[in-house]
Amino acid sequence: MISNFITMNGYGLYVWLSFSVVFISCAVVYVKTKKTLKKYEQDFLTELQALTLEEKNKALENSKVAQQILAASSEAN
Amino acid sequence: MLKIFSSSNIYFFIQKLIKFINSIFFLILLIGLTFALVLSPPDYLQGDAVRIMYVHVPSAWIGLACFSVITFLSIFNYIFKIKNFYFINKSIAPIGLLFTCLAIVTGSLWGQPTWGTWWAWDARLTSMLALMLFYIFYILSFKFLNKEELIIKVSSIIAIIGSINLPIIKYSVEWWTTLHQPASIKITGSNSIHSEMMLPLMVMLLVFLLYAALIFLMKYKTEIIRIKKKNIKRS
Repeated sequence: MISNFITMNGYGLYVWLSFSVVFISCAVVYVKTKKTLKKYEQDFLTELQALTLEEKNKALENSKVAQQILAASSEAN
Repeated sequence: MLKIFSSSNIYFFIQKLIKFINSIFFLILLIGLTFALVLSPPDYLQGDAVRIMYVHVPSAWIGLACFSVITFLSIFNYIFKIKNFYFINKSIAPIGLLFTCLAIVTGSLWGQPTWGTWWAWDARLTSMLALMLFYIFYILSFKFLNKEELIIKVSSIIAIIGSINLPIIKYSVEWWTTLHQPASIKITGSNSIHSEMMLPLMVMLLVFLLYAALIFLMKYKTEIIRIKKKNIKRS
């Protein structure tokens, strides 16, 4: 039964190759997208930290997104 | 009312949605794979090669759906200048390209055991290849053009011209004699696919849709951060 599952009655190469191509490509795109998102979050935080205290407070006050990114980064740490 | 659609609310909603999709994704993927690779029966003609359908068909559907959305939003953006649509399109295009490429590759892998060839220049395959090229041109317009207005103009034109190809893909199997089989699943009319194959196909479609949504949300979130970063000193 296991051998049938692996060979897929002679179509194993095509079936497994199809599923592998799909899942490897999707995994690569997922990792790349997540990495880019993290990089942008990190860059945003770096830029935020570089501001003067007054500018930083103003930015946080006016931007809920900035607050959320900061909160998420403190949660992660 | 419009405050609901502010970037901060959207950002908050995206974060919640990403967490939700992450929490259910692997369970649905496991169910989908079990159905597709173990529980669904082999085809009476194609044998186990039919299992390729569970990755090929959802990929093709999503590839087509993404371009339809892009076209629709491009037209709206071109007329009403809604900037958000531009960012949505920018986030959707790579997903559409990925799934169109996967549909072509898995189609080729399905074609070899069933038709005896990896590729044929028939109407369905060629029109799918054209869709892939339209996606590439569309994405390149974002990469190589600098002015946002010009990008919107050029990308909208590419999307509108590319949309002519969508009905060609859909009806190519009816208009011309092709190696590709006619549609087994129809929105209107009866389906020529057994429920034992239909269920795994729908579960795998759900898996692919969830994955596409996840990538879209992450890309869209990246776009929001990019804009906020640009405006950080102005806020």
